[in-house]
Amino acid sequence: MKQLLFRIVFITLTFTAITGCASYYQKHADFNSEFEHGDLKRALETLGRYQNESESKTRFIYFVNKGLLLSILGEYEESNSYLEKAFLFGEDYRINYVNEATSYFTNPNVVLYKGEDHEHLMLLYFKAINFLKLGKSEDALVECRRLNIRLNQLGDKYVSEEKLQRNAFIHTLMGIIYQAAKDYNNAFIAYRNAIEVYENDYSKMFGMSPPEQLKKDLLDAAWRIDFMDEFDSYKNKFEMTDYQPSSQDADLVFFWHNGLGPIKAEWSINFVIAPGPDHMMVFNNNELGLSFPFQVDDEKERRDLSNLQFFRVAFPRYVERPVYYMSAKIERGSDSYDLQLAEDINKIAFYSLNQRMLQEFAKGLLRAALKKAAEQSIRKKDDRLGAVLGMVNALTEKADTRNWQTLPHSIYYSRIPLQEGKNDVKLLLFSEQNQDSISYNFTYQVKKGETLFHTFSSLETVAAPYRYY
Amino acid sequence: MYLPAGFLNYTPKIICMTRLFIAALALFCLSCQTRSVTRITPETQMDLSGRWNDSDSRIVAEKMINELLTSPKFKTYAEELGRKPAIVVGLIRNKTSEHIDANNYIKKLEVAIYNSEIAELVESEEFRDKLRLERAQQQDFAEPSTVSEWGKEIGANLMLFGEMTSETDTSNGKRIVNYITTLFLTDIETNKRVWYGQQEIKKFVKN
Repeated sequence: MKQLLFRIVFITLTFTAITGCASYYQKHADFNSEFEHGDLKRALETLGRYQNESESKTRFIYFVNKGLLLSILGEYEESNSYLEKAFLFGEDYRINYVNEATSYFTNPNVVLYKGEDHEHLMLLYFKAINFLKLGKSEDALVECRRLNIRLNQLGDKYVSEEKLQRNAFIHTLMGIIYQAAKDYNNAFIAYRNAIEVYENDYSKMFGMSPPEQLKKDLLDAAWRIDFMDEFDSYKNKFEMTDYQPSSQDADLVFFWHNGLGPIKAEWSINFVIAPGPDHMMVFNNNELGLSFPFQVDDEKERRDLSNLQFFRVAFPRYVERPVYYMSAKIERGSDSYDLQLAEDINKIAFYSLNQRMLQEFAKGLLRAALKKAAEQSIRKKDDRLGAVLGMVNALTEKADTRNWQTLPHSIYYSRIPLQEGKNDVKLLLFSEQNQDSISYNFTYQVKKGETLFHTFSSLETVAAPYRYY
Repeated sequence: MYLPAGFLNYTPKIICMTRLFIAALALFCLSCQTRSVTRITPETQMDLSGRWNDSDSRIVAEKMINELLTSPKFKTYAEELGRKPAIVVGLIRNKTSEHIDANNYIKKLEVAIYNSEIAELVESEEFRDKLRLERAQQQDFAEPSTVSEWGKEIGANLMLFGEMTSETDTSNGKRIVNYITTLFLTDIETNKRVWYGQQEIKKFVKN
């Protein structure tokens, strides 16, 4: 019996040693490499081979990756079918408490990946834009209402104002969608809310200010619905007293998806347990000067804990993939339009995780303590088996490194006036200090009163300047 | 080694959090949740977030319906006109910070006007265009005796306008919001306001 148990443990150990150490990014190295190199068709094929993940604990990531990839490839309907699955997953998500409990004896990867707050918002952004590109503004409005509900849920989720409760870009997007549907009143509300969030939250958290385009759109919306008091007041506030509302035949809303968002990796800390004064046991890491005292009243428990030597706790962290292109502009005839930063997904991801680190630390320490307690309990009966469990515990200790890794690093946008009929437009991307630049030409056919939407994804990062789509 | 900013500040909180986690985990395991759905009557007043909801739309609709049906000025206008006035719904402006669909209470008001027979309702601009398109197509494709004729639309006497505003005051997780909904009927011929209805809803939300 004992031999059989050892065999099972040995197999588990070997399996864990081979597969267990890799992060989520590393486990999908083939897909990530193809995607980062811009070989999107092959990346889609590779994703097809991961189809079993559509039923797995990482199904959310599978759905959004497929949705995003198909969207870049212009397969908007199919893209939306996957993004809808990801949306419904978010709607129906319920905590599985058995898995949650199991994660405290193994690692957080046994739990269903529920998705970060900003990931649930971004999937609706891609879905709404897909609908707009398909000319389905009513369907885009449905996504707009869903975004509004999501934003309300986000605001209710956190009490602390330090947490990211609001999303300025999503308010901006809602305004753009409403404006495209000629609902200028709701567009005005959305733009005004966006300005407020940029000025109060984004400036403090990410050092961002409202995009100039947003200010112009807000003024245009106010003017179109005859909110003249608001129009004048915002003109003064923005120091745009000479601004004249736009009266172009049609327009193009151009989104630039720059680079790639951060990936999650793992970092670990080793703790040593030592008895402290007044029935305290202290979890120490001398290298980092960390000390976590826990009160343990029971003498026997203190003795048991003293017998433990050290344990390793793994935590997640984000790793940035710095962008290669730093700025972009669009030229139409003799006019030039800067693409302005509207959303820094990289900073949002870092900020959200930092704000959550307290929870992550508590979870990690609790997990480590529970594992050690189980090991100690077995050691009392069988020292060898206890030692093996200790090894298993050490090998299974892992941080949750899952996240949506095909998202862009940041999103820029601008609204370009078009004339009825054929319009030639040039996009220019610039690297740091304009050392390198590249241009792309586009031609649009537009009807009077129409709004066109274009997203351009440049996947280049500093480490790997690859390709664009 | 990577260490997030402010790590050391978390130390005392982590101890409390860890204990809380153990307690919470035990509680969660005892009570595994499942989704439940219950049908409730539309009149049930339930407030979850504190934002504008169906109850507010209903309160506004009931107040406006009552004020319009009992308005002496509206009655006088109808008597002077010598027939039931025709009303068309115009612009309802939303100046609040919430995306509120005014149709939620305007449609209730329309139904009440229709059922009470105090006035006729004519289609708004959006629907008029669709009707005119249909009528135009009938001229070419419908059997002649069934074709709807041009020039028989009823001209509206009154247009319904409205405005929603809100004032918000927040402090320390508490929020007071005062929503003011104002509707008014204006004589299309004279620009004279014939009827006013106003409803204020003040909410105190404590997180």
